[in-house]
Amino acid sequence: MRVVLAGAIATAALTPASAFAVDYMNADQAARLMFPDADRFESRPVVLDADALQTLDAQGVRARSARWPVKLARRGDQTLGYVVSDEVVGKFELISYAVGIGLDGAVRQIEVLSYRESHGGEIRLPAWRRQFVGKTAASTLRVGDDIANISGATLSCTHVTEGVKRIVAVVALAKKTGLFE
Amino acid sequence: MTPARRVLRRARPLLGTLVEIGIVIDGEGSASQTEGDARGDDSGAAIDAAFAAIAAVEGRLSRFAAGSEIFRFNAAAAGERIEIGTDTRRVLAAADALHRASDGIFDITLGSGATGWHCDAGGLHKSGAAVHLDLGGIGKGHAVDCAVNALRAADAQAGWVNAGGDLRVFGATTVPIDLRDETAGGVRRFATLTDGAFATSRLCTDGHASVAAPECIWADALTKIILVSGDARHPLLERFGARAWLH
Repeated sequence: MRVVLAGAIATAALTPASAFAVDYMNADQAARLMFPDADRFESRPVVLDADALQTLDAQGVRARSARWPVKLARRGDQTLGYVVSDEVVGKFELISYAVGIGLDGAVRQIEVLSYRESHGGEIRLPAWRRQFVGKTAASTLRVGDDIANISGATLSCTHVTEGVKRIVAVVALAKKTGLFE
Repeated sequence: MTPARRVLRRARPLLGTLVEIGIVIDGEGSASQTEGDARGDDSGAAIDAAFAAIAAVEGRLSRFAAGSEIFRFNAAAAGERIEIGTDTRRVLAAADALHRASDGIFDITLGSGATGWHCDAGGLHKSGAAVHLDLGGIGKGHAVDCAVNALRAADAQAGWVNAGGDLRVFGATTVPIDLRDETAGGVRRFATLTDGAFATSRLCTDGHASVAAPECIWADALTKIILVSGDARHPLLERFGARAWLH
C-alpha cells in the first residue's frame, strides 16, 4: 500500500474545488451490452398523454416528463426487450444512465452512461441543468483527463433508483396500452 | 513518455451508491487516459463478474434486501438460528473482532444488543429479541474486496473498484483520490493511492475520517472507529497496517 498525500489538509482546504466528469459508454453501447442477441434497436419514443400521466400518478410515480426515449431491442420480427436512457440531477452530481427491461417488465440491467461531479454552486442554477437538456449520452462531458475517485460521505444513488422505478412504470404502461405493437 | 494505455471503466448503482469499476488494459504509467467501452471482450466479462460479486454480497448482507441473511436475522424471533454462508460468517467475525478491539465503538447492532447474537459452524443465533444487525459500516468495504478478488480471478492485472468512496486499487496503477466538498460542492485532491484501499466516513454534520488500509473491509470499518474515538492515531490502525486522517 502506498499513499502519497496531495498536501497538508489545512492547505488543501484553501485550494479551489474542481469539477470532473466521466463518460462510461454511450446509449447505443449500453443497448448492445444489455441485449447482445438483438440485431437492431428501433426507436419508439413514448409520449404520455394526460390520462397516462394520471394513471402513473395514481401508482405513486411522478412521470416528470411526458416524452420517453424508448428503444425496442429486436431480433428478426421478435421484440427482446426495451432500453430507456435518462438522467438525474443530485445535489452535486448529474448521472446519466440506461435501463434494460425484459419482456416480463423486470429490470435486466442498469448501466451508468456518464457521471458529472459539479462545482456545487452551479448545479442549483437552471442554466447549469439546462446544458444537459437534449444531450445525448455520446456528447462529451469530460473535463480534463483525470481519473478522480471521490471519497466523501457515500454518494446516494436515490435519484437513480427513483428514476429506474419511473422508467419501469412508463414502459409497463406503454406496453399495456399497445404502444409497442 | 509513458505509453498510452486503455482503461475500461463502468459504473452501476449498487449497494445504495454508485459503484465504479476500472480495469487497466495495457501500458503503464499514471491513470490518465480514459475510454469507456462496452465491447464484450474479456475485460467486460471481468467487470461483469465483479459487479455480480458485489450484487451477491448485497444479496447476503443488506438489511434492506428481503431474504438476505441479515434481513432474515432481523426478522427472526429470539432463540432462532439463521443459516449463513462462509462469506457472511467471515464478515460477522471481522465485525465482532473490531467490536472487541475498539471497546465497543464498532457495533453492528447499533446499540440494540451487542451480545444478542453469535455464530457457530453454519448458523447465526439470535438471543435477544430486540437485537438487529446492520452491516452498513463494513459491508461495502467487504463487497469492494470481493469485487477485486473477482477481477483478479478473471485475470485483470490492474484496476480499481470504488463503491461511493470505499475504494480499492490493485496491480501496477496509481489513482488520485479526491474528496468531495459537501458544503460548497466540487472535489479537492487529497492523495494518490497504489495497491491499497481508502474509505471516508462522516458523522452527522461536520467532521470526516479517512482511512487507508491494505484491504477495503478494514478501511471502511476503521473510519467509524476513528470518527467516534476522534483519534487519528488509534492503536488499532497499526494492527491492520492502516493510516487515518481526521478532516
